[in-house]
Amino acid sequence: MPPADGATGYPIETGVDTLNARRWPDAGSSRIPNWVYTDPGIFAREQELIFEGPGWLYVCLEAEIARPGDFKRSRLGTKEVVAVRDASGELHVLVNRCAHRSAQFCSVSRGSAKEFVCPYHQWTYDLGGNLIGVPFRRGYRGQGGMPADFRLEEHGLQRLSVARRHGVVFASFSPEPEPFDRYLGDTMLGYFDRVFAGRELVVLGYLRQRIPSNWKLMFENIKDPYHASLLHVFLVTFGLFRLDQQSAIEMDTTGRHGVLVSRRGEQQENEATRQMRAFKPNFALRDPRLLEPVREFEGDATVVMQTVWPNLIVQQQSNTLATRQIVPIDTGHFDLAWTFFGYADDTAEMRQRRLRQANLMGPAGLVSLDDSEAMLLSQAGIDGNEAAECIAEMGGRAVHDEPHMLTETAIRGFYQYYRRVMDL
Amino acid sequence: MIAAPGLDAPIELRIRLADLYCAYSDALDDGELERWPDFFTAGCLYKVIPRENFEQELPIALIYCESRDMLVDRVVALRETALFVPRSVRHLTSNIRLRAEGPDGFRLTANFALYQTMVDRPSELFLCGRYHDRVVEDGGSLRFAERICVYDSTIVPISLVYPV
Repeated sequence: MPPADGATGYPIETGVDTLNARRWPDAGSSRIPNWVYTDPGIFAREQELIFEGPGWLYVCLEAEIARPGDFKRSRLGTKEVVAVRDASGELHVLVNRCAHRSAQFCSVSRGSAKEFVCPYHQWTYDLGGNLIGVPFRRGYRGQGGMPADFRLEEHGLQRLSVARRHGVVFASFSPEPEPFDRYLGDTMLGYFDRVFAGRELVVLGYLRQRIPSNWKLMFENIKDPYHASLLHVFLVTFGLFRLDQQSAIEMDTTGRHGVLVSRRGEQQENEATRQMRAFKPNFALRDPRLLEPVREFEGDATVVMQTVWPNLIVQQQSNTLATRQIVPIDTGHFDLAWTFFGYADDTAEMRQRRLRQANLMGPAGLVSLDDSEAMLLSQAGIDGNEAAECIAEMGGRAVHDEPHMLTETAIRGFYQYYRRVMDL
Repeated sequence: MIAAPGLDAPIELRIRLADLYCAYSDALDDGELERWPDFFTAGCLYKVIPRENFEQELPIALIYCESRDMLVDRVVALRETALFVPRSVRHLTSNIRLRAEGPDGFRLTANFALYQTMVDRPSELFLCGRYHDRVVEDGGSLRFAERICVYDSTIVPISLVYPV
């Protein structure tokens, strides 16, 4: 058959055909078909409906762009953006794409600028993303130039909606997203405000890793307390997180956001720890300074891990605080970008404690190392087994809050909402 | 090994320093993790930190140990508590330079390239960067009192299991 568009004889693979044939298992959100982790058509639809949809995406902390002119690059789904503070203190989140020839105009991670100049043809934008200069717009000696009807004001940078809450910056591709506090809901907002209570934040540093698995497996990992008592020997042994401790899993009304809350216990044997092969009663640290957590928040919870749809994990494990931003790369890879922070009024001892406890977290973390390796194994088992499905039925098949850890309810909640958004 | 201009280090010292670097890499490349803490003094500082943080003086590190005991704790934790897919590492250390000598020891820098091999995968360049070291005489041996491993790309492929 001759090519319809006169270009090539090869059919263009859009993934649309396979997508239409996809059917979610009848059992519902407690069964997850493996093709959600492998299908490029699904990945493309996720970009469109989830990352560029009506939700709020984590961009950065305000402390990273504290002064007028400060900017920071970030990535929302597969789209690069630049978050910037203008002279009046207003924050803007701009897509990192020149309106002219689509070149990325910003190629450093962070910095300070008075305006953005695309290096290719020097089209110039103010910090609000308005196009303010086009070289040779009127031509030279009567030759060249842009057409007479070319309007600067019609060719600004793509600008996202911005929400700020207690020093955290979110953006949405929707021109009229729902208000941020309603997006989180009362329960989730309460947990968010626990760490982000309006105290001035200080960035302590960045860590980043590229994990060979689908991005959704990261959310599933944090929404799954069942694995923690089995996989994380370090956490279990030192009682940082264990199913015999008073715990809870809570969600917003849609299931898209969640928290996992727990309280620290002791390194002593009991009925539950005897069932955990992971528990090592005789493992003692030679230098116990690694783990000397002190209470710093209201209430007795010592761990609160919050997942905010669709790209943020807020980590409070003892005294390590971090945002973990999920950046999908393709069906089988995502970047996990960790921003560790503390408070401006931390004592020197507290600052030191946060640095020490960070040994548990990040790409070499004595705890989180287990997770990145487990995700690698998950994707390796999923690849090549597209027709199979995963089971998430610990604690039943329904979606509701639970006052214990032996449940996969938050994974089911996540997929309940995911299916709604993705129409699957 | 090269001394900085103006630094006239005796050849014997240079050989001892070069041997220290070789033996360190060997211990890690041979998987003899238990030998690793012995290359450090009891009160050592060992850090693995992305260049991004190092240059902006942001303190968060991938590994942050303030004593040899913390190094031992990490080895025991890796051996007994961590889950990870089997891999082996290969360190290439080059450009070892003695930069300063003073009462607190020898200041050196060296480049490292760390290759990693996982089962059923080709070997890959895992991290590269520079060691910033302070080496001291300690009980008849040269040991690291400070080893700051600054890696160039912030993005770590999957996870860092073994020390740099």
